[in-house]
Amino acid sequence: MLQRILAIARNTYRETVRDKILYNLILFALIMILSSIILSQLTLGNEDKVILDLGLSAISIFGMLIAIFIGIGLVYKELEKRTAYALLAKPVHRYELILGKYLGLLFTLLVNLAIMTVGLELALLYTGSIGLGGHLRVLPAVYLVFLSLALTTALALLFSTFSTPALSALFTFFLWLIGHFGKDLQNFGELTKSAPVGWICRVLYYVLPNLANFSMVDSRSIIKTAGYSSAIDPMAVAGSTLYSILYCAAILSLSIAIFMRRDFK
Amino acid sequence: MTIGNIRSVHPAMVVVEIENLTKDFSIGFWRKRPIRALDELCLQVHQGEIFGFLGPNGAGKSTTIKLLMHLLHPTSGRARILGEPVDKVSMHQRIGYLPENPYFYDYLTPAELLTYIGRLFGIRRSDLPQKVDMLLESVGLAESRNLQLRKFSKGMVQRIGIAQALINDPEIVFLDEPMSGLDPLGRMDVRRIILSLKSRGVTVFFSSHVLPDVEALCDRIAILNKGKLQEMGALDDILKVRIEGYEIILSGSRAEALEQIRTMCDEIRPMEDRLHLRVATRERMRSVIEFAFKHELDLISVSPIRRSLEEHFQRVVDSRQWAVGSGQ
Amino acid sequence: MKFGTGFSCLAIFIVCAALIKPVQDRLEARLGTPGQEPDLLYFSSPAVVKKMALGYDRIVADFYWMRVIQYYGRRDEADKRPVRYKNLSTLLDITTTLDPDLLDAYRAGSLFLSEADPVGAGQPEEGLKLLDKGIRAHPQEWRLWYDKGFIYYLFLRDYGKAGETWHAASRLASAPHWMEPLAAMSLSKGGAVEIAKVLWERQYRESARADVRENARNHLISFQVARDIWSLELLLEKYRAKTGSFPQTLRELIRGKALKIVDPLGAPYQYNPVTGAISLSPETKVRYLQVPDSYREALSVKE
Repeated sequence: MLQRILAIARNTYRETVRDKILYNLILFALIMILSSIILSQLTLGNEDKVILDLGLSAISIFGMLIAIFIGIGLVYKELEKRTAYALLAKPVHRYELILGKYLGLLFTLLVNLAIMTVGLELALLYTGSIGLGGHLRVLPAVYLVFLSLALTTALALLFSTFSTPALSALFTFFLWLIGHFGKDLQNFGELTKSAPVGWICRVLYYVLPNLANFSMVDSRSIIKTAGYSSAIDPMAVAGSTLYSILYCAAILSLSIAIFMRRDFK
Repeated sequence: MTIGNIRSVHPAMVVVEIENLTKDFSIGFWRKRPIRALDELCLQVHQGEIFGFLGPNGAGKSTTIKLLMHLLHPTSGRARILGEPVDKVSMHQRIGYLPENPYFYDYLTPAELLTYIGRLFGIRRSDLPQKVDMLLESVGLAESRNLQLRKFSKGMVQRIGIAQALINDPEIVFLDEPMSGLDPLGRMDVRRIILSLKSRGVTVFFSSHVLPDVEALCDRIAILNKGKLQEMGALDDILKVRIEGYEIILSGSRAEALEQIRTMCDEIRPMEDRLHLRVATRERMRSVIEFAFKHELDLISVSPIRRSLEEHFQRVVDSRQWAVGSGQ
Repeated sequence: MKFGTGFSCLAIFIVCAALIKPVQDRLEARLGTPGQEPDLLYFSSPAVVKKMALGYDRIVADFYWMRVIQYYGRRDEADKRPVRYKNLSTLLDITTTLDPDLLDAYRAGSLFLSEADPVGAGQPEEGLKLLDKGIRAHPQEWRLWYDKGFIYYLFLRDYGKAGETWHAASRLASAPHWMEPLAAMSLSKGGAVEIAKVLWERQYRESARADVRENARNHLISFQVARDIWSLELLLEKYRAKTGSFPQTLRELIRGKALKIVDPLGAPYQYNPVTGAISLSPETKVRYLQVPDSYREALSVKE
């Protein structure tokens, strides 16, 4: 079983890594990181912070775009082009197909994140003031971005099992956006006078992906200057990892259930 | 609706068994009107035979094969392949499938595709290259082994489709319109492959529109129309029953013989120095032959007129009623 | 086979979904609530936000107003910030730039800005600025003028300016009839505690917002407390002058007098017989808001 999933993952990686959209997005990301160097010159003495803030945001946003653009086609293309037909007539379970595609895309994302991180580290190296510790602390930040992308990809995949690419992209992006405002939703739920609305808000808070869980490591944690730092809490990172795993597992199992029931006409 | 008798002498093993298989599709978003694509199909395929599955567009042929491949879920009924229910994924290890209008990952080369599929079957990495080469050779794609599939013609895609269906040395192959899009040479190649499969004991189940091929290849056939089975049985049985008469070719006739002959025949066609006669029954045929002897006419040939499969097909499926299907 | 996978999927889904809530809660507890910057969402310029709103100004304004309420209303979160309401004026500025018709933003917003720490931002000048902005947008809205005078009177103690503002307000077509006498009183008897009480009482009676009414009520209760304590202090002084020491309990002090030794919400005042100090009990439910010392004379009940 594992062997088949990995074979499908490898094939998916091969397919997605050659996707032209990918190259454009990475190019843009690298440009953004480059321009952050220029922008940072406008702030006096705060170059590192600006580069980190802009760079991490760029990685997060472009990572999200890659996850969505490729994720929405993962299943849809297989069915639209009917390449899945020959595949499912092999001794391949439907769930193996889903998991294989998911893992393949995750690996593509990993590679892209690595490229963008290298770009960021080079930019930081250029301004030269955060030291080895700072450079190393960038990695947990990118790791958290990866966790959030795993979540986004799972959602894109879910929609891909039953919806067209356009709608899938819309829904996934919408959920990604809402995912950043979880706290506001929770507050609204507490401040509202209507009990059912409050209850709905509370439920939604847990059901919707809570992306604020992955933003705890930012420039404050990476640059450690007196009076402007917050330590990276390994337990919190572990907690975020667990959250991501649980949420992805739930979404993937839903995707598999939908995919199993589908007729392929 | 007649179901032909299974006249084989040795009761061969049933490798595909379809029992009351029914498939409804719901059309429309709000008011769901189900369209019955397949209605209570019952079918058996025997081991080692070539089974032809015929029907007009929308008859339900592709639907049947997709139900067998578990790409579709049946509304009711069951099907078994090699004794296993069709939803048992491990059974796929022993079968091959060529989809209708196949499409494969166009960024791969045939070698890469076959290697990928081979891995899915669990074929060992060390065994794969040799296997892949052999297969490509057998379907005539050896020179294009490193060409990306997006550059392939339809005929070439069909061939790689056959190759991927055979990579696991299946016991039974399901081919959905294997001849479509092929030129006559390609069709001959496919015929050759199918026959060679049979010689190796592989059961072949294929659906087709190309009736001459079916006529040439199949042991047993089934005719499907509008989701319902119209006829099933050995090809010979189905066609033999319908000998419509005999064609007799004579030459060297004389005028007064012509008149006499005309009374015995249904049809006379003079062609240069020959006479093409058509008689309906055996007795008439004998009379004509005796007459020819007596009057020293040259008997060029006598052959039974069997309804071609094409004509039979058209009669079974009234061409005016070709179903407008929602796709097979 | 199909059922097997289907049930596994359902099982996995249920287990994971059920675990999400506890994990999320634990994680949040660990992380604590986010600090300063997230309040402003990276944008501190109203002009920038307006551009980003892409024409959806009103609804973005609603969103920011919601943020203001949260920012101001969540005392537990505010306690964690080094400066409690540093961003309040910016948030209000953004809100009113996006939707100049949100009257509540000007009115309640200026009030929260003007209230001293820890109740508000302690920035009455910012409150005035906000009201001026509102008045520019709605020059005929007498309530904004009234609020401006309110802030002058109660927070800046500029009774003259308060009177002037109210006087200008009384000229507006829609102004209520009591505006003119209020202006006159402020100009002539500026600093009188009655005026302050009238202002808070009016707000308590008439405001549509629960939090504003609550605030006014707290002020009125504080006046009551101040009255009680100052009056008691006077009596204590008299007692000490007569006997040379303080009484053991407050009860003997007020025998026969119409004074209270229990605060308006029921907790007895704390009294130290040695030093003669009176204050609110630590268990009090009163949210005491500073009453200016200038009212001491007026509030204390004499014999």
